[in-house]
Amino acid sequence: MRRLRATIMLCAPLLLSDIPAAAQGLAGHEATAVPPTTILGFADINYVETERRVDEGFVLGQLAGHVSTGLSERLTFFGEVSATARPDEYRIEVERLILRYDFSDQLKLSGGRYHNPVSYWNTAFHHGLWLQTSVSRPEMIKFGSRVLPVHFVGLQVEGGFPLSSLGLGYAGAVGNGRGDDISRGGDSGDINQNRALLATVYSRPAHLFGLQVGAGAYLDKASADAVDVDEQIFSAHVALTRERPEILGEYARIRHEPDGGGITTDTDAWYLQAAYRLPLPVDAFKPYARVERIAVDDGDPLFAPFGLDYRGFLVGIRYDFASLAALKLEYRDERFADDEEREKSLWAQASFAFGEH
Amino acid sequence: MRALLRCTVVLGCLGLSSAVLGPPEAAAQGPASAIAIVANPRTTTSDLSFLELRKIFLGEKQFWDDNSRIVLLVRAPVARERDVVLTKIYRMGEAEFQQYWIAKVFRAEVSSKPKIVYSSDMTSELVTVLPGAIGFLPADEVGSGMKVMRINGKLPGEAGYPLQ
Repeated sequence: MRRLRATIMLCAPLLLSDIPAAAQGLAGHEATAVPPTTILGFADINYVETERRVDEGFVLGQLAGHVSTGLSERLTFFGEVSATARPDEYRIEVERLILRYDFSDQLKLSGGRYHNPVSYWNTAFHHGLWLQTSVSRPEMIKFGSRVLPVHFVGLQVEGGFPLSSLGLGYAGAVGNGRGDDISRGGDSGDINQNRALLATVYSRPAHLFGLQVGAGAYLDKASADAVDVDEQIFSAHVALTRERPEILGEYARIRHEPDGGGITTDTDAWYLQAAYRLPLPVDAFKPYARVERIAVDDGDPLFAPFGLDYRGFLVGIRYDFASLAALKLEYRDERFADDEEREKSLWAQASFAFGEH
Repeated sequence: MRALLRCTVVLGCLGLSSAVLGPPEAAAQGPASAIAIVANPRTTTSDLSFLELRKIFLGEKQFWDDNSRIVLLVRAPVARERDVVLTKIYRMGEAEFQQYWIAKVFRAEVSSKPKIVYSSDMTSELVTVLPGAIGFLPADEVGSGMKVMRINGKLPGEAGYPLQ
């Protein structure tokens, strides 16, 4: 029954999207400035061999469905739902649910559940693994990450100045902050009545197409196991998304100040990824590499119990065998928490996109 | 941290050298091959810089100066005018163009992808009736009831027009 409900949830937008076009005819459907319904889907199938003490073999990744539809010329709904394979069931998650009113290029106001823009990767690729070059996200912003809050529930104002030579943009938000489980956003309310604040700025210079540099700040009070801390996250990123080369780098410092005094601790997390699409006639191939690090202060009251320290290096190659499908082969060398042993893994992934586009 | 910064700067410099994009070179072809940028006649804008045109077609500028919504029309493959626009405005191939809009919609940076039109007649019809619409046509197929945009102050066929 649960599986049936999940299937209906994922398929309903696909079925409903055809109704207006069929009912109104092509001309009636097209001759309006109201944004039409767009459906997108992403999925991935993986195979893993690893020295880690986790299950090996074939692993179904996520099936993610995205819908955007105009409710009026300026009011748009965006939704993203994922189904993730677990040992005992598929977990259905509303990843994003956003209602946005566009006043102008400079001012857009929205409410709902977002991917937290304090991380570049989080908002550049969301759950579309086909969009990203590598098999998986960096550890600092992986799905279910405790290091950076992946989701944000609240209100957001955003906009940009696309004709400025620096191509400036911004976002500011107020929301619930982390939930009881610090890897989750406060979906059902703020657990400590202390709203999280968020601000980001970025630049996409007009004459350097594909380049984005930006910074963000996130302030909250986080709680776990009766420990309350003031949390300050500062991040910066540089992303060059042209394929020759592709360079993505991101750094975040997470500062925790325990309530009522105590030692202030800093956690540093970063990654640097580089890729290069090969020239013709082998331009379907894109080799890539990434190095990353999470350095948690041993005295951090929020993070230390979870053993989040991480060092990792990976190399891989992506093969775009169809316009909306890719094969990736990736070798990883990682060290988790305080383990002395480095653990090696080999991942293969088929990822693809589908839908009305 | 220093190592990270050093790597970022070095790789960034390598990347920027190939990412710097100058204005497109005008091909030395006759006026018959020019592509006209056409807009709804009620659009208050008549002259766009090439940068503005590019930002509009990339979905980064989504509102006209009078704050009405821009409705972008793009011709479906396979049409010569689409090839010209992808080459000179987007500077992308078909696959890259497709991926660009999937990502743009998925990131909620735009409310929708461009409207796809299947013929010059369909472009003409929609541009005429749809407030805020902007599209492109072979210059010799431009009819009445639409506004032909100047690009960098030039009309199709004039020397220096960037979409020849």
